[in-house]
Amino acid sequence: MHPDLESLFYKAEENYLQAVEMKLFKHHINSLAQRLQTYEVLRDQEIDIFQPVADRLVEAFAQESTPLLEQALKQWIAILRYAAMAMLLNNPEFLQRRLLEWLTDLVEVQQRQSIEAKLAQLLQDRLREVLTEEQRNLIAPFIDQAQHTLLGATALYA
Amino acid sequence: MIAVADLLQGNRLPGNYFAPDAYLQGDFESGLLENRRGARLVALPETLLQAIYAGLEKETGQASRIVLFNCGRWWGKNFYRRFVEEVSAYYDRPLAEMAMAEFLQCMKQCWKTHGWGVFELDVSHYQNGFLVVELSHSAFAAAAPKENSSPACDVEAGLLSAFFSQLTGRELHCVQTACESLGSDRNYFILGLRERVEPAAAWLEEGHDHATILDRLCSSTPAGRN
Repeated sequence: MHPDLESLFYKAEENYLQAVEMKLFKHHINSLAQRLQTYEVLRDQEIDIFQPVADRLVEAFAQESTPLLEQALKQWIAILRYAAMAMLLNNPEFLQRRLLEWLTDLVEVQQRQSIEAKLAQLLQDRLREVLTEEQRNLIAPFIDQAQHTLLGATALYA
Repeated sequence: MIAVADLLQGNRLPGNYFAPDAYLQGDFESGLLENRRGARLVALPETLLQAIYAGLEKETGQASRIVLFNCGRWWGKNFYRRFVEEVSAYYDRPLAEMAMAEFLQCMKQCWKTHGWGVFELDVSHYQNGFLVVELSHSAFAAAAPKENSSPACDVEAGLLSAFFSQLTGRELHCVQTACESLGSDRNYFILGLRERVEPAAAWLEEGHDHATILDRLCSSTPAGRN
């Protein structure tokens, strides 16, 4: 359940929603439509989004082995998928529990932070090319969340 | 050149199998708890755990620790089978093909989601033939009788010995060397071949702490002799 809507549903048990709450409800409904649209773009263009990212990654880390780069790439493809669902649900906890908690130790052990950081940056750049500003604002907090969790606060960039 | 379309063949990108909101399912109508594959789960209330300790102590006296250890062995055998089945099916590869870090992450998440506490595995004494498991927030330690003077997580010790015996293919024994119920910050368990790890129990009775016992075990077993 969408947490923002859920709180309004509980409120409606007590009385009819008031003007301010109705405004909030409409805002969430409109936002949900935008989230859905953004989700569809990310889903339908998954390969188009990531192929240039992969090409630029290979260029940047020409000396690294292909399986290593593939593994990191797959990880960020998963991050975008789970982030897209978290955006749809407007629920950062979904991303945290279903994926990031699982990946955090793995990233630390694999010691490929520089590749991960580059990938995150390339993905953010690519999303700027593919999404409208409005759409990017919806998904960006979740990508930032992933970067922050996996790479630490210092990896965040504007 | 990496072809992303090839990377996405099969289209599955599994995440955290043991994520609590996905793994634990409850049905209010039937009052059943199930995991995400539909297997039944049982909740152990604190009162029941306390009653098990008290009842066994009354019925079996000094043998209660052995009884609990053997219960843990049974639990561990079944737990290993289920763990392997579930993890292999979800990640679509045998446990043996998983990286150590992935296996460990599965164990940690599994332990936490089942409410058994926080699990850590220390493999730095592997060359000496020992594995050290650290558990914190154990429900078994919390429910242990307050007047206990020895470690109380015999069920977990049995579980770990059966689990790691099946995992490694060698019969491993497990001795608990520190316990939250005795004021330690966590529960320490040392696993190894029975004849090598058994002296730990005697050193524990003499009052030595976990670090000293581990040092003694390692110095009596040179690296590489495992």
